[in-house]
Amino acid sequence: MEWLRVIDFAVGDPFYNMAVDEAIARCVGSGRRPPTLRLYGWSPSAVSIGYFQEVLEEVDLDFCKSKGVEVVRRLTGGGAVIHTAGELTYSLIAEEGDPAVPKDIQESYARICAPIVAALRKLGVDAAFRPINDIEVQGRKVSGSAQTRRFGTVLQHGTLLLDMDFTQLSALRVNAEKLKDKGATDVRGRVTTLKEILRRDLSKERVGALVAEEFGRGFKCELVRGSASKEEKGLVPELAERYRSQEWLFRR
Amino acid sequence: MERSAVRKFSGGKLLKVTVRSEGGVIQEVRITGDFFVHPEDAVEEMERALRGARVTAVRGILKEGVEGGRIITIGFKLDDLISMIEGCVG
Repeated sequence: MEWLRVIDFAVGDPFYNMAVDEAIARCVGSGRRPPTLRLYGWSPSAVSIGYFQEVLEEVDLDFCKSKGVEVVRRLTGGGAVIHTAGELTYSLIAEEGDPAVPKDIQESYARICAPIVAALRKLGVDAAFRPINDIEVQGRKVSGSAQTRRFGTVLQHGTLLLDMDFTQLSALRVNAEKLKDKGATDVRGRVTTLKEILRRDLSKERVGALVAEEFGRGFKCELVRGSASKEEKGLVPELAERYRSQEWLFRR
Repeated sequence: MERSAVRKFSGGKLLKVTVRSEGGVIQEVRITGDFFVHPEDAVEEMERALRGARVTAVRGILKEGVEGGRIITIGFKLDDLISMIEGCVG
């Protein structure tokens, strides 16, 4: 890729957020839009579940309802994630076949996570990519990503925990099996945040800008600040409606 | 009868299979978990293709019958899925 459109940090609701990622992918895939890095946040808090997950297995819906936590099924596989106000989320969308993104899926996770690792190191955090799709600091997860290849694109989105409202972890019904080989007995022990590591607050705008810079460096491309096009924005309402629907949420 | 199997694989991904069957013939299969499959639609395609299949046909259907055998699984191997399904058929 020669240049990368950067859509700067903005906060959106969960259904809107997933709809914008898909709208961008649909337009990037047909070659009508350039490769794109989008930075965003979540309000209200939400659980996103992987494309293949069973919602009732993963989410405590009563807890979510009582706390105003939304639940959304992602287009990407992978596990359930709780997204709270302290999270910086990214999505990287490029045409499938773009030489910057390896064809091999495992390799492409490493490639797309590398600029995030680099940004964390710039902040003085000793971060490392851990296959399949995590970034860890001293064995604890600070970032997780998920990828789909549809519409002729590679769409990878993922989290970066600047801070987290750990009280909302109860929204997840965690399978004890899942954590076993990661040396943790609960999600709280398995994850960490930049605030815990650095003992200070970071701005999402600032870290987002740093991540974008590292994508430019890592992919050797020029960064161009942009926003969603009229066409992309036009796709969002209908897609958001689908993400919000019970049919979509309960399809598994 | 309905049987489920759950396995966790190295790398940490979880795969759950639920099979409803009668006399060695599959009526319904559900494949869920936090794994990755590309293309994603292949999972629903597998579930559809297995409906009405005998346990002896599972391997052939999943190895060649879906997406021409070009499915990429991340987090588990297709052989794991096959043996889990076979093990759930009553």
